[in-house]
Amino acid sequence: MYQALLTRRYLTRRIMPLLSALAVCLSTAMVLTTWSVMGGFLQVLLDSGKTFVGDVKIHQPSRGMQHYDKLIESLEADPQVARATPVVETFGVLSLPGDVTKPIQVLGIEPESYNAVTGYYDTLHWRALEKPSKHDPDQTDPRLHPPTPENQDRADRLELTWPKILENGMNLRRIDPRTLEHVPAMVPGIEVSGHVNQRQPGGWYLPQPLVDNPVDIFDWYTMPSHPRAKITLRVLPLTDSGHAVEMASRIMPVANEFRTGNYVFDNNLTIVPLALLQDMMHMDAAERVIGRGGIEIDPQTGKERIVPPRTVVEPARVNTVLVSAAPGVAVNDLRDRVQEIYDAFAIENRMPDASVQTWEQINAGFIGAVKKEIALVLVLFTFISITAVFLVLSIFWSMVNEKTRDIGILRSLGASRAGIAWLWLRYGLVIGLVGSALGGLLSYVIVRNINPIHEWLGSAFNVVVWDPKVYYFTEIPNKVDPTTMMIVLAGGVLASALGALVPSLRAAFMDPVRALRYE
Amino acid sequence: MTAPILQAKNVHKTYRLGRVDVPVLHDASMQVHPGEWVAILGASGSGKSTLMHLLGGLDRPDPKKGSVVYEGRDLAQMSARELDQYRASAVGFVFQSYHLLPELNVLENVLSGAMVRYGRFGYAARKSTLRSRGEGLLDAMGLAHRLGHRPVELSGGERQRVAIARSLINEPAVLLADEPTGNLDQKTGDAILDAVEKLRDRGGEDAAKQTIVMVTHSREVAKRADRLVELVDGRVRSGSEAAGVS
Repeated sequence: MYQALLTRRYLTRRIMPLLSALAVCLSTAMVLTTWSVMGGFLQVLLDSGKTFVGDVKIHQPSRGMQHYDKLIESLEADPQVARATPVVETFGVLSLPGDVTKPIQVLGIEPESYNAVTGYYDTLHWRALEKPSKHDPDQTDPRLHPPTPENQDRADRLELTWPKILENGMNLRRIDPRTLEHVPAMVPGIEVSGHVNQRQPGGWYLPQPLVDNPVDIFDWYTMPSHPRAKITLRVLPLTDSGHAVEMASRIMPVANEFRTGNYVFDNNLTIVPLALLQDMMHMDAAERVIGRGGIEIDPQTGKERIVPPRTVVEPARVNTVLVSAAPGVAVNDLRDRVQEIYDAFAIENRMPDASVQTWEQINAGFIGAVKKEIALVLVLFTFISITAVFLVLSIFWSMVNEKTRDIGILRSLGASRAGIAWLWLRYGLVIGLVGSALGGLLSYVIVRNINPIHEWLGSAFNVVVWDPKVYYFTEIPNKVDPTTMMIVLAGGVLASALGALVPSLRAAFMDPVRALRYE
Repeated sequence: MTAPILQAKNVHKTYRLGRVDVPVLHDASMQVHPGEWVAILGASGSGKSTLMHLLGGLDRPDPKKGSVVYEGRDLAQMSARELDQYRASAVGFVFQSYHLLPELNVLENVLSGAMVRYGRFGYAARKSTLRSRGEGLLDAMGLAHRLGHRPVELSGGERQRVAIARSLINEPAVLLADEPTGNLDQKTGDAILDAVEKLRDRGGEDAAKQTIVMVTHSREVAKRADRLVELVDGRVRSGSEAAGVS
């Protein structure tokens, strides 16, 4: 009873416990903020690992997979599989407007099935936006503005309305302004044309304005809208044995641009129609010469005759099939099942072995490195936070000194050693609770507002801590995981109690007579 | 004569200061009978406060060198828990420097002894009774209007009255007062002693009086007691223990 009363009074009428609570608060906030941002970083990384991959990936990089339609049919017939989609993956070079050349990873896809596996449609950036971002009070984002009435007909004709641009992105096509017919088009990542699209601190992109006060899409140089915004794609087809054939090149318009939020994808990847890339990579269905022709003697006439080269019709190939799991199916279970299906398919169709990996296995090296980095950072910060234990210990030691007489008084009133120890330990726990709660609140406010804080630091002091080119993601993770929060807060309380433990024992074992005489 | 309620039997007490043993009490014996007011008189350093600490169970005599006996039980044989209970319920302390808890107000200081004695649940069960008793004691001390004040807002005399009220909250068998007027001017000291006498007799003619052991260096103050025990250099002066105050 007296412990509760004295704890309350010591806490509200003295500055030193507030200092202890502040130490716990700052340590808790530091650890929780670090853990939340780094943990959020890992989570975004894990989530992004699935971007454009699905759950399981079958990859046959050398010969590729013929009859992949049969494989997909087998996969989709299995209850553990939701959808499967064929993909051709390769590397190429893009020549962009403005004499910009950059190496790029190219994906050839079938949009509908690819979207079903990866959620591709959701990543398309250029689309009508109904409400401005809260960071865009001036409504400068072009997506907010439909064509002006005088431009409406032109926009309809050229399919340069936001809904049509979205639709064309979904179908990887664009209207040719001369023939007004659809032609295949590519969808590069939004950062691929980084010299055209300038990312704003609020997270949206501004293309280059063509007039002083742009009002609709015709006043902006966006990749999907501008007639001269064409990109040359060059890829290098390989034979089965890995030898290069001649370079294939195609000039293409841009249908839309995708934005995943992962800088690696957004800056290094472009998407084209599957059939187009198969054609460029010589992976399309075609009659191929597999032997040499020559001259032979006709056994019936005894005369020479010309023998044409032998040809076969080879079916189209892909080097990748992506698979998504049916609801409730664990990714590892799916991987095992896909492996079984592929093995059966490979035997039946004389296909070479292929790697079958979950998205986690594909990114294992990188994810593992990030996990270790986070663990290291947490250990370091936790170690630093142990200073809070010693800070509480020293403050409590000093307070026990200051309150030595009170301890003697309480002992003379009959208080037991355990009662005195509990008084100080309880005091430490209360300070830990108060400090941790305040630290948790402080950390929550910081983490939730970390992007505006970062933007403010950038604008006020020109300090850019989170460079997306370094950290992969365009926004700093700003979620506080409740479990993480509970662990850190409990750690704060425990640290405070640990700091109070030694002074508590010292108080408990104080000689009451000496305590009463303490000056 | 009734059996003594509290007695020191041939106690020795030595303190160790650094490497030097400093003997404080030598073979000191005294008895306190129920209802008595005993004054322990002595000069500074004579060991009177040490004797009072031994009587109050705050300290122990040197091992195997005497004993302090309360109602027939040797305090040295009590467990730590029993000794805590002894201090909480059998004796009440009043110190020269008041020793109030500065963060608590007057009433809370008085009730703090009861909080310690009864614990959380025991105190909660008796809260209204204890509060009434505390307020009654403070009223008897003339501090009814000071219940919510903190010690720092009181005069020395007022603080000592609060300390006396606190010492009596658990209705102890023996009140142990160590120089209760030592820090006060004579007028205030006299008023304090008057208040003690008044509280001692508050039960009326037929009721048992409060047993008091009071340490003092003042013969004037000691005259208020029924009996005098004089300490000289840690020894009870021959004949003083038995003699009445003269």
